[in-house]
Amino acid sequence: MNEGKRPGGLTALAVLNFIFSAGGLIGVMGMITVIVLFGKLVENMDEQARTQFEALQAIGLPWFICLLAVSVLSSILLLISGIGYIKQKKFMGHTLGNAYAILAIITGIVSAVIMKPEIGGGFTIGAIIEFIYPVLTLILLNTSFKEDFTN
Amino acid sequence: MSLRDVSASHIRLISFYQTRYTVRGGAGLVFLMITLVFGLTVAHAVLTPIEQIMAQQAKAGQQSDPQKVVAEIVKLGRPVIQWALGIESDENSPASSDAWTTFLLDDRPALLSVIFLILLFGMPLLISFLAFNQIAGDVQNRGLRYLLLRTERANIFIGRFLGTAFFSTLVIAIIIATITFYLGVNIKIYSAGLLVGWALHGFLALSVLMLPYIAICSWISASVDSPFVSLVLAKLIIGGVWLFALLGSLVWKPAIYLNYALPWGLQNHLLHPQLTHSLGTALACLGYMLVFLFLGYYRFETRDL
Repeated sequence: MNEGKRPGGLTALAVLNFIFSAGGLIGVMGMITVIVLFGKLVENMDEQARTQFEALQAIGLPWFICLLAVSVLSSILLLISGIGYIKQKKFMGHTLGNAYAILAIITGIVSAVIMKPEIGGGFTIGAIIEFIYPVLTLILLNTSFKEDFTN
Repeated sequence: MSLRDVSASHIRLISFYQTRYTVRGGAGLVFLMITLVFGLTVAHAVLTPIEQIMAQQAKAGQQSDPQKVVAEIVKLGRPVIQWALGIESDENSPASSDAWTTFLLDDRPALLSVIFLILLFGMPLLISFLAFNQIAGDVQNRGLRYLLLRTERANIFIGRFLGTAFFSTLVIAIIIATITFYLGVNIKIYSAGLLVGWALHGFLALSVLMLPYIAICSWISASVDSPFVSLVLAKLIIGGVWLFALLGSLVWKPAIYLNYALPWGLQNHLLHPQLTHSLGTALACLGYMLVFLFLGYYRFETRDL
């Protein structure tokens, strides 16, 4: 193990984790705001936004809350594992990083199945883009950076 | 020390470690992320309108014909493609130029052609994220001195160039394979043979096009001591040549020829209908690469490390 000598790639991965974590949390806050202001927003919506809202409603409240909770969990995992990459900690970095990647891949598949195409569901290029980072994380943590974490 | 000291086994070893180091070092990872997101976002932007129209037709209970939808969009996009290929207008263009647009939009999978044209323009602007730090970082931290005890400068220079080129080719292959697979499975308007054949052509075109741009990054990286300066210079030179040619030509038309300082001026010809023409363009790209590599190697060989 290369203790104390952090590869630049791991630092880059940590920075990306922080960026995606912040982005995820902002997205969650946006979704909550939309729900809270639903009544006011729906009056001023154009047709496309209304279609998206209908598609969002079609998921059902339990699934919606579940996806929201998973988004929050993913963002937290990204943040903690990012710190773990910086400190090169086995559990905090490697294990939680893998946990995030697996969770994101499963969530992506479930979202593609249960959500309508209007809000990003189905097998689309957009869905594939969402898989890039988790798949890269999974591959890199278990190949290039496998030996860079300590207990 | 000269090119006579070149050793294939040393180059193989150095290029292997260069490929591995690009990911561990961070530059490769950033390039991988940016390029994958860019490539797939381009595909997303091109394919989404078609998918949306098909979905709307299906929702309205109409018979959805993807081929008709694509034909309609291609008709609308034809002037844009002609502009991108440098064809001024239908009336003034020679028959061969018009045949080029027809080849890209009618004879070959049009959606893939449009994606390739955007990638041919965008990829040179991204390649410096991967290739900027082939030499400069090791010169700055003096790590190169330890390497020079074991091998010659020529092996380091060529090995690192080849490792970077291999990594870039791998990333391009992933992007094109993903887009082609998606087009084949989801859009289903082109035959598998046509799609794979054109995808292979696009892959080769993009891979060859990256070589001169990687070579110019090798030259810059071998000339300066700081990776950051190397990245900034690479960005300024690659993007600047195109921008100066574009803006300059608005004031003084011949300024457009500045594009030929790099492959900007001819890179679209890699997708030309005549095979001899596209092969000639590929050879020209290799020519650019050799010139930049020679200049970079000369600088690297003669400089004080």
